[in-house]
Amino acid sequence: MVASRFFPDTPTQDEGPMSATSGSATGPTVVELPGPRPSRFSLARRENLSGYLYISPWIVGFLVFTFAPMIASLLMSFTDFDPRAPGATAFIGLDNYERMARGILGQPGGDPLIRDSLLVTVRFAALLIPVTLGFALAVAMLVNSTLLAGRNVFRTLFYMPMQIPIVASTLIWIGMLNASTGWFNQLLAAAGITGPDWLNSVTWVAPSLTIMGLWGIGNMMLIFLAGLQGIPSELYDACKVDGAGRLAQFRNVTLPMLSPVLFYNVIITLIGTFQYFTQAYIIGNGRGDPAGATNFFNFHLYREGWAYFQMGYASALAWLLFAIVLTLTVILFRSAGSWVYEAGGDR
Amino acid sequence: MEWVNKEESVVHINRPRHRTWAGLVVIALVIAACQGTAATQAPTPSPSDAPAVTPAPSDAVIQTPVPGQGGMTSDGRPLIRWFVGLGTGERPNHIEVEQAVVDAYNAAHPELVVSLEIYRNAVAYDTLATQIATGNAPDIIGPIGLRALQSFGDQLLDLTPYITPADLEGIPQGLVDAYKLDGKQIGIPMAVYPSFIYYNKKLFQEAGVPEPPHAVGEQYDGKDWTWGTVAELARKLTVDAAGNDATSADFDPTSITQYGLDAQWTENDARAWATVFGGSGSAVADDGTTAQFPDNWRAGLEFYYDGVWNGHFIPNKAAVDGMSGGNTFQSGQVAMDIVHLWYTCCVYPAEGTPPVTDWDIAVLPVGPDGNTTSKLHADTIGILASSPHPKEAFDVLSYLSSSPELTQIYGAMPARESSQDAFFEQLAEGFAPLEIDWQVARDMLEYPDVPSHESYMPNFQRADAASKALGSKLWTTEGLDVNAEIDALVTELNGIFAEAAP
Repeated sequence: MVASRFFPDTPTQDEGPMSATSGSATGPTVVELPGPRPSRFSLARRENLSGYLYISPWIVGFLVFTFAPMIASLLMSFTDFDPRAPGATAFIGLDNYERMARGILGQPGGDPLIRDSLLVTVRFAALLIPVTLGFALAVAMLVNSTLLAGRNVFRTLFYMPMQIPIVASTLIWIGMLNASTGWFNQLLAAAGITGPDWLNSVTWVAPSLTIMGLWGIGNMMLIFLAGLQGIPSELYDACKVDGAGRLAQFRNVTLPMLSPVLFYNVIITLIGTFQYFTQAYIIGNGRGDPAGATNFFNFHLYREGWAYFQMGYASALAWLLFAIVLTLTVILFRSAGSWVYEAGGDR
Repeated sequence: MEWVNKEESVVHINRPRHRTWAGLVVIALVIAACQGTAATQAPTPSPSDAPAVTPAPSDAVIQTPVPGQGGMTSDGRPLIRWFVGLGTGERPNHIEVEQAVVDAYNAAHPELVVSLEIYRNAVAYDTLATQIATGNAPDIIGPIGLRALQSFGDQLLDLTPYITPADLEGIPQGLVDAYKLDGKQIGIPMAVYPSFIYYNKKLFQEAGVPEPPHAVGEQYDGKDWTWGTVAELARKLTVDAAGNDATSADFDPTSITQYGLDAQWTENDARAWATVFGGSGSAVADDGTTAQFPDNWRAGLEFYYDGVWNGHFIPNKAAVDGMSGGNTFQSGQVAMDIVHLWYTCCVYPAEGTPPVTDWDIAVLPVGPDGNTTSKLHADTIGILASSPHPKEAFDVLSYLSSSPELTQIYGAMPARESSQDAFFEQLAEGFAPLEIDWQVARDMLEYPDVPSHESYMPNFQRADAASKALGSKLWTTEGLDVNAEIDALVTELNGIFAEAAP
């Protein structure tokens, strides 16, 4: 048998895998059997090719509908592209990025709204992420508790809001949070408290959006629940033997064992917060109301691109958003070593 | 002796079949994925004189155009695409009439094909911008208001070379001039919507106060009909949960159940509110590049702000949100509401049986500038400069602009005076048995805001957004210094205008 130069383990075409030749003096004798046409590729390579073939629709879709638009938007960010006048598009180098930088630094000639939009987004992230994570974890622990009757019913109920479209749920919340007719303020009034103008107050609109966000913790709760159910009960038993109370058990077993899930949820929520749009668009009447308090970065990007038709600048903003999210994600991954438990690791 | 691995031979035998199937699946998926795009870019050319109404492919697109390429149908006739959705025109009853009007034109003009395409208002702007960017722009856009038309001002065709005296016959010159942008005539007035006061007769009877005047110059209860008089009346018509009106010392502004006055659906726009309560003005100084806010506009905004937060007779945003989703007049909780003629779309009996079934209209008062001003909306139809058939497109525009069927279905007063009698006769029939004094609407057309509250500003979209941001702030925030806020707006507008300078 003569091995192929390129695929040493593969028989040549002349021989084929099923062909039989006399063995060497020391080698085994191979019986010739009828078989399929021989392949030029090794089994591993053939399997790889099959795999690529099966996922090729996704790859084609990714290249055409994601990667190519990304490259297009990168190129566009160096132009003054306005879809209403595509023929007048000019290459303007780093002008769009300079405008962003000047705006962030508060210098003349900069985007006057970019700094506020970043601040609105960061402040909201600082409020939303811990509150939703804490609430989702608390709910997950509740519906995981053996003391709770009808746990499956509660799990379903807490997950159910995820099935409602965001626009519909936002409109419902607008009604509930209305200062004069909403249930929230009516309940507060029953308790003798004058409720705020939730959605029209610069102070209260971010807490309102956070409350609305709590309604949509279904996915996060499920992931926490799966994480909680994966914690070996022996650890809790050992804690109990050592005399640990519930708080100590939570601090020393639940949180460390749940840290990979927590890490995942932090990353997902962080990315989601920086892409926050739909609720802000509806609540803010498409204008960032009240007084720019819902002018989130993603919404600012949208306005530049689709209200002012400054697609070149909007593309630059999109790349800034990408850079911010990527940087924060990398920082989180770097920090993971100090607080995320990895089974089998040193930590 | 060594037997070749049996499993491997099976794998070998089956693998080509796997590959074949996988290949077929991939090809099928790629074709399926690309099919929509391919169909859009290279449609099957099969135009006919019959209306090419196809099922809506999505919620955003209500009606798609007749297929064509390069502005021509497959049989070589000019294809004129009419893009609807930037203003009114997307309601089912609108579409029916619009299609009938187009069909009638196509039947009378077999040498070309007019194609109607309709988009939801929420996506119409983006859709049109995308169509322009991809070289697939329509010929005609509208009906569209002045503010919206300026979003595409640079892309619009100057109609001056095509307009004949007959096209403008019977249309007031002021209305024609409203559609001049940078020296270009970008539209012919098609429909006008003066504003006036809609009032709830029942609430007036309950308060025991006379109804507001129906003629300009008429006094109200022995007093001149000014905004001061309106404010006084509105306080009497503003009532709290205990039944106290806003003139009472026991009035509780935290439990208001009925407001005296509103100017609903004004879009939070500071320029619009300033015009309603202050009269005509412009945010652009005579030099065309400097921002300003005239004194009568300041007085107008101060009146409005005082009415919301101190007098409590105008609802703030939170209160408006709690009244029939913003249709405050039809909630039955507002006694007087300043809205345009197009609001006939949404009052009894046009919109079922809301709480208000007995209403009428009254004239607007004299403003701080000493004039009566009716904030005017006007619709037109424009042609994009990229149209390959501008002459044919203008003929179609002229036909559509003068169509009584279209103005009737849009609830619009025809800009042409000769068509107005028929319009009001039909309007009166539609609102019977109510006897609305439509003469008020006719009279108010004599007092349009000139320049328009929607008129040109440099860097229009950003400047317009800044104006609306102030409107929103005034509507939602108590305790502001209105003049300081206006000064801040002027500073901001100067920056925005400067960005647009060459």
